[in-house]
Amino acid sequence: MTALPQHHPSHALIIEYAAGSMASGRGLVMAAHLAACPACREEARLMNAAGGALLEGLEPTPMKSDALAAVMARIEQVEPEPSPPAPGQDDWINVPREVLLAAARHKRWAAPGVWVAPISHDRTTGAKAYLLRVAPGMAVPHHGHRGVEITCVLKGAFIDREQSYGPGDFAEVDEDVEHRPHVTNASECVCLISADAPLIALDWVGKLFQPFVRI
Amino acid sequence: MHGLVTHGIEGGKTGRRRSRAVWIGLAPEPRSFRMIETQAPAPEFSALIVAIATRADREAFARLFEHFGPRVKSYMLRLGAGPDHAEELAQETLLSVWRKARYYDPAKAAASTWIFTIARNLRIDRLRRERHPDRLDDPADQPDGPELPDASTLTAERQAKVAAAMAALPTEQAEVIRLSFFSDKPHSEIAGDLGLPLGTVKSRVRLAMARLRALLDELA
Repeated sequence: MTALPQHHPSHALIIEYAAGSMASGRGLVMAAHLAACPACREEARLMNAAGGALLEGLEPTPMKSDALAAVMARIEQVEPEPSPPAPGQDDWINVPREVLLAAARHKRWAAPGVWVAPISHDRTTGAKAYLLRVAPGMAVPHHGHRGVEITCVLKGAFIDREQSYGPGDFAEVDEDVEHRPHVTNASECVCLISADAPLIALDWVGKLFQPFVRI
Repeated sequence: MHGLVTHGIEGGKTGRRRSRAVWIGLAPEPRSFRMIETQAPAPEFSALIVAIATRADREAFARLFEHFGPRVKSYMLRLGAGPDHAEELAQETLLSVWRKARYYDPAKAAASTWIFTIARNLRIDRLRRERHPDRLDDPADQPDGPELPDASTLTAERQAKVAAAMAALPTEQAEVIRLSFFSDKPHSEIAGDLGLPLGTVKSRVRLAMARLRALLDELA
């Protein structure tokens, strides 16, 4: 990767990630950005340190009397075998393994030039995480949002409201944003996205394809 | 088994303890941040993890267990685990400390920070497996968090400064940080609980982090 990311998540998102209170789909998008962004990694590290300080300051709760013996007895056991590596994507920024697995196993063409690979669907909240690939030069249909949607670019670049988003860049939009991002001509664009709720299609193209795309 | 545990780690550190007592004075008022007075010498905890990594030192492990096990249990209880579950998660966390010790880099994170991230990730993995038993991946697929190679470092020394800086945060900023870590809620819900607009909570987080940075630079 050549350039460092120019668009970053808010402090609030980084601290939710560091605290472990973030929904898993969002956490994947954050992990992808953090892997690509030394500045946000440093912020996350500071927040981890805040977590360490809070842990250190907690009133200890006595453990069971045999707790240490029980764990000591287990430390000799053989560790579980690590998983085999997932099929890599050399031209993407680094992503968590389950994102690669989703790309390898669950990719489906949803419209001309567009594929989607679902990663997770939280049935309680309706939030979804997925990969979206859009062909070079193509525009995403005009759409709005219900709730918050966060995105990390894994490959290529798109332009949204005169800002360019390249590999590692992070974008956050909410209900107030209606837009029609388009992919630059240089290459296909692959994004990792976590959305609270389905998009709102605002033109006939989007309405036509939404039942197939299911995002 | 507790007979194994010695308290030599506490010895000879009065100077360090005294300097922490000064930091307590930085806090505008006494609050729930007890981290300052209870903090044991952090560099020694780092050395204990390194001792596990380099020579499978069981006594070092017992000391870490005695200090951090009960705190991890409290952490799990705070986040809503029942007593048995919290006990089990604390034991699993410390087992992971033994197994992952070789990946620990004392130049990158203080012992408390490293153990916090292990506890946090373990808890997330468990929750995800419970909520999504039909997930398409196996448990080992989980990301390890942002502990990636990087030039900048948070050493044990700096950890003590973070604790001191947190004790010096204004009350309302300290509160959002504490709730961020101990309520298991996104900021939208924390805002609701506090009866504040989300934007206010977010700006307090931003101010708190900026202040932590500034205080760290001052203390450096």
